[in-house]
Amino acid sequence: MNFLIRGRVALVLKIVIVSLLSAILLMLTQSAFAQREYVIAAYLAISVLILALTYLTKISIPLKFFIPGILLLTAFVIGPILYTVGMSGFNYKTGNIISKTEAIELIKAEGTEASPDGIAFDLALGRIGSEQAILVSDVTNLKYFVSTGKTRTEVNPADVTLNEYGVAIAAPNFTSLDDSELSGADKSYSEIKFKYDGDFFIALEGLETGIVSQQVLKYEATNDQFVNLVDGTLYKDNGRGNYASVNDESTILEPGWRAPIWFENYSKIFTDPRVREPLVRVFLWTITFALLTVITTFALGLLLALALNKPIRGRRIYRSILVLPYAMPSVMSILIWGGMFNTEFGAINTLFGTDIAWFSDPNFARTAVILVNLWLGFPYFYLISSGSLQAIPSELQEAAAIDGANPRQIFRKITLPLLMQILSPLLIASFAFNFNNFNLIYLLTGGGPRNNLDGEIAGATDILISYTYKIAFGSETQDLGLASAISLIIFVLVASISLYSLRKSKVLESFA
Amino acid sequence: MNKKRLGFAGVVASFALAVSALVAPSANATTEIVVWADETRGANLKKVLAVKGDWVTGYTVKVQAFSTFDALKEAFDKATAASGPDIVLGPNSWVSAAAKDGKLAPLTLTAAVKARFNATQLWELSYKKKLYGIPVDVNNVAMIYNTDLVKTAPKTFGEMVDVYKSLKTSKGLKAGLCIAGGGMSWGGHSVFSALGADAFRYNSRDEIIYGRGFTPTVFGTNVRKYLMDGKKSNGFYPATDVGCKDNFLAGKVPYAVIGNWDWEDYTAKGFEMNVMPVPGVEAGTYAKMFGSVSGALLTTFAAKHGTEAGAKSLLVNFFGSTDGQVRYQAIEKRPPAEKGAQADKSVSAAQRGFGAAAALAGIPEIGAFLGNTSGGASYWESAPAYWTAVLVDGKDPIKEAAKLSLIWKANVVAGKKDL
Repeated sequence: MNFLIRGRVALVLKIVIVSLLSAILLMLTQSAFAQREYVIAAYLAISVLILALTYLTKISIPLKFFIPGILLLTAFVIGPILYTVGMSGFNYKTGNIISKTEAIELIKAEGTEASPDGIAFDLALGRIGSEQAILVSDVTNLKYFVSTGKTRTEVNPADVTLNEYGVAIAAPNFTSLDDSELSGADKSYSEIKFKYDGDFFIALEGLETGIVSQQVLKYEATNDQFVNLVDGTLYKDNGRGNYASVNDESTILEPGWRAPIWFENYSKIFTDPRVREPLVRVFLWTITFALLTVITTFALGLLLALALNKPIRGRRIYRSILVLPYAMPSVMSILIWGGMFNTEFGAINTLFGTDIAWFSDPNFARTAVILVNLWLGFPYFYLISSGSLQAIPSELQEAAAIDGANPRQIFRKITLPLLMQILSPLLIASFAFNFNNFNLIYLLTGGGPRNNLDGEIAGATDILISYTYKIAFGSETQDLGLASAISLIIFVLVASISLYSLRKSKVLESFA
Repeated sequence: MNKKRLGFAGVVASFALAVSALVAPSANATTEIVVWADETRGANLKKVLAVKGDWVTGYTVKVQAFSTFDALKEAFDKATAASGPDIVLGPNSWVSAAAKDGKLAPLTLTAAVKARFNATQLWELSYKKKLYGIPVDVNNVAMIYNTDLVKTAPKTFGEMVDVYKSLKTSKGLKAGLCIAGGGMSWGGHSVFSALGADAFRYNSRDEIIYGRGFTPTVFGTNVRKYLMDGKKSNGFYPATDVGCKDNFLAGKVPYAVIGNWDWEDYTAKGFEMNVMPVPGVEAGTYAKMFGSVSGALLTTFAAKHGTEAGAKSLLVNFFGSTDGQVRYQAIEKRPPAEKGAQADKSVSAAQRGFGAAAALAGIPEIGAFLGNTSGGASYWESAPAYWTAVLVDGKDPIKEAAKLSLIWKANVVAGKKDL
């Protein structure tokens, strides 16, 4: 196997692997660039350079081991965090998704209106000389004319060639596009305002139909404003991502764009009563839920690990059975438990002969959430507690026993403290995980029960992350900027609690 | 870095560039109109277009079928000019948000094309008076009754309750009337309406009445009279739709509100499609049921792809034509939206039955009202919450109805600006 690490074969293998990886990354760079994702494209291009420098030179040997991790960490952890921080300072919600340039283009393109009398014509696409033109048929009045972007020329009905529907397809000096030219002409013909009458023009509504229209909105780039050409209303940039009427700020042109509003999303969390009021209650429940989950799952897992730590008949079978809930996809388990807790048809009410509305009563719903999470979580703690118990030297317990300690004292004074030293980081990680356990809440209770009739946004089992989801995506309007701000607050909270707990448990010091 | 290494790096870079150029994705040809649809509509569109694909001269149509409806929605939410479709098949509820986001482009139909559709259907695909697509299929619910349990169509809501009470024990009924299609909000509007609570109301001139909700005492009193036994539910109408379909198919529920997309499941079990609107408390009156349309929606990406005119032609020539809709709905089996296709002999009796029920008591699903949360909650959230509060938690039906009425009234008033 040494030839895979050193020598000519290893060198060729390295060249092939680095080449393939670079090729894939360059392909993704090109794709990202084509989709105007310039930051991603730049990141991928830089990654190719870094990979080449790292593996094809002797700049740093340790870097050869670290660089894949560093690149992935940057892409999937640091990048999203920076993006979330950035978006939390923007008015970024339904109606304000695209850039200002795109918004102006769309408002300009959609700033036309069909004529009030709804005149429409059949037409054929073609040219007058080299100029793009349409041959228009007014089949009701048997009139025909050729129109370009600047001129309109009437054509004698006797001079046109009609198809079976009475639509002109040929006229003097007018060259129709053949079928193979139609698709290539789509964009340029769609952008032309073909001359009709006065301010009215003919706009393509398909390859065979034109609608008489007029321009209603005009963009004035020098003043960065739109003018309604019909009633004279001015629409100016309101600084929040929309052009708003100067007469009535609530009248805006759509679409809007992502506009920086700095700390407004953060202040909204504390000033908007609909967001602020349930926040404290949800925060307290989140802490309670995470704590109770860690305590109950750890307690049950440890209990079972202690029970099965002694040689008993069928221990392997018991161990296998206990790991089953962990082996089953949690999504399936949650959905099955959701069905079992159903008031009318659920197995739990049927088995116990009760009529409990598990998901309608706040306390029962919270109990159900804790019970289901206990089911999902105890095998993990059983596994790690079993492993940790094996790691504790039996001599310590034997010495304590010789000194006269009873089993309870041995557990309390020796086993548990040693276990806690080993398991503290995992308990803290479990707390942080459950602090953001979106799947369980979303799939089991949907955050409910919630008294919608009293205008409550947060449900009784909503935790901070599901509450954020509701604010961001719970209604027709998706407020991604506000959701980013709340996500960052959650991030700071979880990080602070975890750091504090780690320091308190002195785990960091023991690692150091 | 020595010369050898530099040369080596150059070789690698060249090789990488060469490979990447070979495998780089090519942009869509401009002769291709790209249509996005969900798993059933997309698959069926492919079949139809495989038989006849020349709906727009000079173009081919490429259909991308997504694995689920949610996957389609997610992809469309993330679509960009570089990756988005020219046309997307989606429900009317998508229109307002997608138009606000600049993803949908308006289109103007000629009078002849407009005449092929009901004005309501076109209105449902409009936002701020601009039309964004062509109606393709109609979704609505209607009430079916099990002729093994009841021989004739009920004339009043009270008659259904009496039937339930008389058969409850002998037939082991699980409920009297339940919602098997459309959920407790969309499908369940019939029961609200039958008892006197409508999400929004029309005057005699078919104009929406703003600023006046339903009367809580009338509705609450009816709930107490027909659905409750003291402070508890009498079992006639469950507060949840869970298990409704199975129970109806098992003969344990005499009346159920079902969706028109589901009718084959019922005929397969031998049920006749004797569908009707839910009867009101007075004979001859019927509950209002929501109807909605799914449409072929034009996107703003089409203009960027250089296929805007072709996409508009496809919308009119295929999606908006009798021939196109008959061919498509012959496989998709939903009620077609286009009038000529509705009259076609290929449309089944079941589809006609739903159409007749909708004609008798259908009202449009107006997203601007129903999804609005100005009153503290949307219609979608508050409707099932009422049944939970009253039928499960035993709260006062009139007091809760008063809260519901205020919410719905506020939402309708606030939603007016988005019409």
